[in-house]
Amino acid sequence: MISSVYIHIPFCSNICTYCNFTKFFYDKSRVSSYLDALENEIIKRYQKEEIKTLYIGGGTPSSLQLEELQKLFQIIKKFKLASNCEFTIEVNPESLTEEKIKLFKENKVNRISMGVESTNPKFLKYLGREHDFQLVKEKIDLLKKYQFKNINVDLIYALENETIKDLEKDIDNLLSLDVPHISTYSLIIEEHTKLHILKAKNIDEDLDYEMYKLITKKLNSHGYKHYEISNFSKPFYESKHNLVYWNNDYYYGFGLSAASYIPNKRLLNTSSFRKYLNQEYIEEIEELRDNDILSYALILGFRKIDGINKKDFYDKYKVDILSLYNIKELIKEKKLINTTSHIKVSYDKIYVENDILINFVGE
Amino acid sequence: MKQENIRNFSIIAHIDHGKSTLADRILEITNAISKREAKEQLLDNMDIERERGITIKLNTVRLNYKYKGEDYILNLIDTPGHVDFSYEVSRSLAASNGAILVVDATQGVEAQTIANMYLALDNNLKIIPVINKIDLPSADIKKTKQELMDTFGFQESEILLTSAKTGEGIRELVDAIIERIEPPKGDRNAPLKALIFDSLYDSYRGILILARIFDGTLKVGDEIEFMQTGSTYLVTELFAYNPNFLKVDSLSSGEVGYIVASIKTIEDVKVGDTITLAKNPCLESLPGYKPMQQVVFTGLYPTETNKYNDLREALLKLKLNDASLTFEPETSEALGFGFRCGFLGLLHMDVVEERLEREFNLNLIATSPSVIYEVLMTDGTLIKIDSPKKLPEPTKIKTICEPYILTNIFTPSEYIGALMELCQNKRGNYKTIEYLTPERAILHYELPLSEIVYDFFDKLKSISKGYASFDYNLIGYKPSDLVKMDILVNGQVVDALSTIVHRDFAYNRGKVVVNNLKAIIPRQMFVVPIQAAIGSKIISRADIKAMRKDVLAKCYGGDVTRKKKLLEKQKEGKKRMKKIGNVEIPQEAFLTVLANEEIND
Repeated sequence: MISSVYIHIPFCSNICTYCNFTKFFYDKSRVSSYLDALENEIIKRYQKEEIKTLYIGGGTPSSLQLEELQKLFQIIKKFKLASNCEFTIEVNPESLTEEKIKLFKENKVNRISMGVESTNPKFLKYLGREHDFQLVKEKIDLLKKYQFKNINVDLIYALENETIKDLEKDIDNLLSLDVPHISTYSLIIEEHTKLHILKAKNIDEDLDYEMYKLITKKLNSHGYKHYEISNFSKPFYESKHNLVYWNNDYYYGFGLSAASYIPNKRLLNTSSFRKYLNQEYIEEIEELRDNDILSYALILGFRKIDGINKKDFYDKYKVDILSLYNIKELIKEKKLINTTSHIKVSYDKIYVENDILINFVGE
Repeated sequence: MKQENIRNFSIIAHIDHGKSTLADRILEITNAISKREAKEQLLDNMDIERERGITIKLNTVRLNYKYKGEDYILNLIDTPGHVDFSYEVSRSLAASNGAILVVDATQGVEAQTIANMYLALDNNLKIIPVINKIDLPSADIKKTKQELMDTFGFQESEILLTSAKTGEGIRELVDAIIERIEPPKGDRNAPLKALIFDSLYDSYRGILILARIFDGTLKVGDEIEFMQTGSTYLVTELFAYNPNFLKVDSLSSGEVGYIVASIKTIEDVKVGDTITLAKNPCLESLPGYKPMQQVVFTGLYPTETNKYNDLREALLKLKLNDASLTFEPETSEALGFGFRCGFLGLLHMDVVEERLEREFNLNLIATSPSVIYEVLMTDGTLIKIDSPKKLPEPTKIKTICEPYILTNIFTPSEYIGALMELCQNKRGNYKTIEYLTPERAILHYELPLSEIVYDFFDKLKSISKGYASFDYNLIGYKPSDLVKMDILVNGQVVDALSTIVHRDFAYNRGKVVVNNLKAIIPRQMFVVPIQAAIGSKIISRADIKAMRKDVLAKCYGGDVTRKKKLLEKQKEGKKRMKKIGNVEIPQEAFLTVLANEEIND
């Protein structure tokens, strides 16, 4: 049963130097035709399932004008939302207004994810962001004023010339916001980004590791639980939507370049605006055999710090997780830990987890 | 064909002097091939030969030629040019009556011109000196003629001029082969006496023996005996090669051809052995030629341990075609089961490794090459070792001797200073300089052979901008202050990475090797120390930090397929690695031990 939806809004008023998501400069006529096309796609593909998590990401969804957002929420009314549906929208500080916040509230949005990325003016400039930390504080206060409790802030670290001290300051600033969810990403200079074109450099790998250790230590000590490789939350504030990915559950992805997982298939939507308007939504289909499904279940499930629940795994796939691949051997090598209920990656190896996960792909 | 109308000849030259192209032109003029089918370097039929533009294996081709109204058969026995392959040259020469000595008009006499010339003279061959590449603007015919006359005592009138590129002078050359080289002098009525001078494995016909008939006649259906091994076989097919296989009923004295005799045991065929008839054997065998001395040894291991038998089969088949290759089983804690292989030199080693990988589709790991050391023990016994692993405990060793060579470095005079510095750095002892002309000299140094095993040849070429050439003779053993340097990865000695080094050089080499390994071994899940040690003393150390941050990349809108693809790519990369203890070491790591210079990462 599919009970999650991702919607991609590929517009931004400003392009960040590190971003290689599908996005375009905000353009009024484009937004209008895009929203029409989005509505078409949803009508065509959505099968009236009850939706328990809904996530509007981008791009910058908050860069849409108020009336465009109204149109978007109109479209979303097509979904049968569960009463406790987790409904997230991504925003950036500069485009978030009191009117938009009110509109979110009216339309049952109950989780906000804000791209803060850095609190240091120098690095905000490097990342191509146009806000400052003062604005972040004001917008978080405004959200709280409208009873938004479930807020996430994103942090990007490991920037060229960044020091441990710089990072410590960033973390302290984020902690001062008193929000229940923090995501942290080590900067990866991807192709087709401004940073890549400008030949930006990665920081020293040793320093990167020091930074990772500092983040886990600080956030853990402030009551944030490290529940997924890049994600930390106060109790009960884990992102339910993201857990759908890690639990290998089904989800629809609507919009440009959105990914879907439906029974036995993983789909990737086109990233061509023209094709999308032409209703040629799907670009790639990955047909999944039984062992592909198990492979995904493992490489995604082990991203969770608590790992994979053995009983849930058996109930879902009718196979004993211990019998798969070389899991027993990895337990013997102490790379995986076998607890009474779960199998998880040894905490000191989370940082280099790919070395474990490659056991579960290929032949 | 009567013997008087047969000519058996070779072409000898320094590498790159145009020997193979000249052979192609001779093939063309004798109509063995049309111009249209002439691929470049027709006789170089291995891919490696064409790619590198060198000849490794000798090849033999029968040519028909009309001279003054009479039919002649010319057997052209091609030879390689590199010093490592001089054993191939001596085999060709043993089957020939004359040789064409090719010298590049733009380069003059070089190291292997002289080395090959001496081999030819040892075999009492008639030499036809030829100056090639006369079409090039930089050709200096007058100077080259002078060098040939001064160095070897040729008359000016003997020297022919050719351009293998334009075809100029080729007909005169072929005529000279008939006029100057003597026909073979075998006795066709005597018992069969034939020399095996090459063999090869063909997947359709099995083992093919290439032989020169010295006396008697060999016919299909004859029962032959290999005099050295005593084994007998029935001849099923005979071929001449022109350059396609041409079935013939018999081969008579003076002729060269391929013998097929349903031979099952590869080991029965020994290059240099004499073939005779089982029923009517000849009294004594041909002298054959000295078995070649292997000077460089390395361990070859399959990357996948279950490919051991495939490697063994491949080595056996290669040996059939390359008698100078030796191998014996060897085991390594790090690499499992493999073979200790002996080679005539570094190029030979390179070529064999490449042929194993290409022709037999094997993935190999080669350990660092070693020479043969003589170790005098404290109890007075003398042992010879070809692998650092076999070096006894230092306390049991009185002295270690290593092989030395005497170099003949041919160089334009302007590079002498830099080349002397190179030789000094390689622990060389200066002997003399001979000036051929004021602009060209031969530099003689005594050098430990182990020093040229590394990067000597590359350095020589780069210092002299490619103009210097080099060749050497082994001159015997001398004592040296040598020690075994071990490499420890994560506290564990990797036996395949151990080397024997001079004590004074150990510290620097240790540092370079450790840093190179650090650059090449990927970060693991834990900190991995890399150490170089002499005995229990650590002389250098570098740590590979635990790390890999790609796991922390943001997940793009639920596109987890991307993640899986990344993991699959990483997994592919790991396949070419060897697991040592709990550390994954890529194949290249074993080669970095050879690199004397630091890798920049």
